[in-house]
Amino acid sequence: MVADTKSIPAISRSNFARTWLNRLGPLLGLMLVIAVFAILIGTPERYLSLKNIRTVLAQTVIVAIGAIGMTMIIISGGIDLSVGSAIALTGVITALGINAGFSPTVALCAGILVGCFVGLMNGLAITRLRVVPFIATLGMLGVARGVAKGIAGSQTVNMPETWVNNLLLTVPRPAWLLVAPGVWIAIALAVIAAIVLRNTVFGRRVFALGSNEAAARACGIATDRLKIYIYALAGLLFGLAGVMQTSRLRQGDPTVAAGLELDIIAAVVIGGGSLKGGEGSIFGSMIGALIMAFLRNGCQQVGWPNYIQEIIIGALIVIAVAVDRWRSSRGALA
Amino acid sequence: MRKIISILTMLAAIAALGCNGSGSKTGKKKLTIAVIPKGTSHEFWKSIHAGSIKAARELSAQGEEVELIWKGPLREDDREQQIQVVEGFTSQGVDGMVLAPLDDRALARPVEEAKSARVPTVIIDSAIQSNSIISFVATDNRQGGVLAADRLGQLLGGKGKVILLRYAEGSASTMEREEGFLSEIKQKFPGIELISTDQYAGATRDTAKRSSENLLNRFGDEVQGIFTPNESSTAGMLSALQDIGKAGKVTFVGFDTSQMFIDALRARQLHGIVVQNPFNMGYLGVRTLVESLQGKTVEKRIDTGVIMITPDNLDAAETQALLHPPLDQYLK
Repeated sequence: MVADTKSIPAISRSNFARTWLNRLGPLLGLMLVIAVFAILIGTPERYLSLKNIRTVLAQTVIVAIGAIGMTMIIISGGIDLSVGSAIALTGVITALGINAGFSPTVALCAGILVGCFVGLMNGLAITRLRVVPFIATLGMLGVARGVAKGIAGSQTVNMPETWVNNLLLTVPRPAWLLVAPGVWIAIALAVIAAIVLRNTVFGRRVFALGSNEAAARACGIATDRLKIYIYALAGLLFGLAGVMQTSRLRQGDPTVAAGLELDIIAAVVIGGGSLKGGEGSIFGSMIGALIMAFLRNGCQQVGWPNYIQEIIIGALIVIAVAVDRWRSSRGALA
Repeated sequence: MRKIISILTMLAAIAALGCNGSGSKTGKKKLTIAVIPKGTSHEFWKSIHAGSIKAARELSAQGEEVELIWKGPLREDDREQQIQVVEGFTSQGVDGMVLAPLDDRALARPVEEAKSARVPTVIIDSAIQSNSIISFVATDNRQGGVLAADRLGQLLGGKGKVILLRYAEGSASTMEREEGFLSEIKQKFPGIELISTDQYAGATRDTAKRSSENLLNRFGDEVQGIFTPNESSTAGMLSALQDIGKAGKVTFVGFDTSQMFIDALRARQLHGIVVQNPFNMGYLGVRTLVESLQGKTVEKRIDTGVIMITPDNLDAAETQALLHPPLDQYLK
């Protein structure tokens, strides 16, 4: 008995330490990636210069904003494969809107709302039609891409110069922003989303849904409605990512971001999200997105060819998932 | 924790492969030049790669040491990926870039940002809507259309009924070829009647074949000459003609090259193809950039040349050199 009472705080302390290691793991990974490339490149002052870092940050924004939405979906035990297509569709909508003479703000909101609508459709297909998320969103991947090409006339949609084009300039205007305005938007959204997930009833229900759907339902959570909210909310973010993509390209491109959903899912998984649901953090996903961006940038600056880059990122995803499996199986034993 | 260890092991393993070779040598500063194609797998881009290596070797032999970095977008034909490559080279601070932009608008911002970061860019292959470039080194597409019109007009003796099957709406390079063809026919061969010039082949061989079939159903009995302005439209029209047994009976001039066209030239089913010179494009792209870096003034627009290949000059040394650039010599 004595041993028992003693062991309880000990276990919880080691649990506490492990939780923090899990949480800080991705961050240490990021620092490691940066350090290794700084050494490999041989000119750390250039790799770590403000110029290079703000380039990488601007390049991360689209994946990062997408990963905020994807983190919520993955924590809830779902998945969304239609992100890349949604980004193309909302980008085309934004460009068409600006072209049609609407103010950039209106066009931008239209793009974001279409993203929300795509998410809503996903949510309805999953809950009302009882189609598993993988299939429902796989279907939407095709539908949204097709609609994007259709309304764009299978061409890129060029748009006149507006402030939308300046959202992701690597050298921001005005200069006192230090990094592109889009980077600040992504940071703000990440902070808000992290607080919502951690400290609100909605956020705790998302975790509950992903951890054990039946139990969540038994506790009185309207799981179907919650799922629709989650996909629609994530859709808003995917719409914003589409706006950012259009800002970078200065045009709506219906073929852009094919396969980007995999980058976004990878960012969440590298950041500690579990595809079984119930686990994941916004902070981790942001770090995951940064790890991939710094890897790409680093590989290019070292002068490695593309195929090495693809091998590294591919291997990184598998390792991250393997660690995820290993961790969850240990969790089941304990 | 495991994740970190895994990443560490992996990076260490890669580092151990010994891929990096950035030993800085003493003496005159080496010029680092990035060449960024639209993709890397097609023969066309391999020729550009080989040409740029030739330029780098020649310049190095002349005492201007040039290090070439060849890097395409991670996903072929993906604008966002190409932008990231350009931005990466900009912040890396290369001495200059040679870029074949995937889009004339989307790549304008990165090129302008590169210029303000003192990284000059030479554009090859396709135009860009920006004045922040050193030079535009590419095929004179209009001239290619003119060559085709001359060939077709001569073979038909200045009279007959001719079809132009256009490529696709909104493709600038092929539109120039079509306009060059049309204006030359109208000016030089008033006896030739253009019976169809408003049909489009579409993006692929498959769509090209379908619209060729439709055109031939309508005009098959009267048509005497045909021009198609790119690879897919030429291939589509050629196989449509072969299917109905008309290949060889209609005078047919195409654009670009593939083994199928060479065989058709030998069988006299094709009577000429206009061929660009990607090897020269890569070569002149790098040379122009280096000359500009050396402080010399360079032309704003440099033509890399087109030639007409016919059944008669197919085996000439010059033609063979163009059709089979010495890739092995440069790409190893």
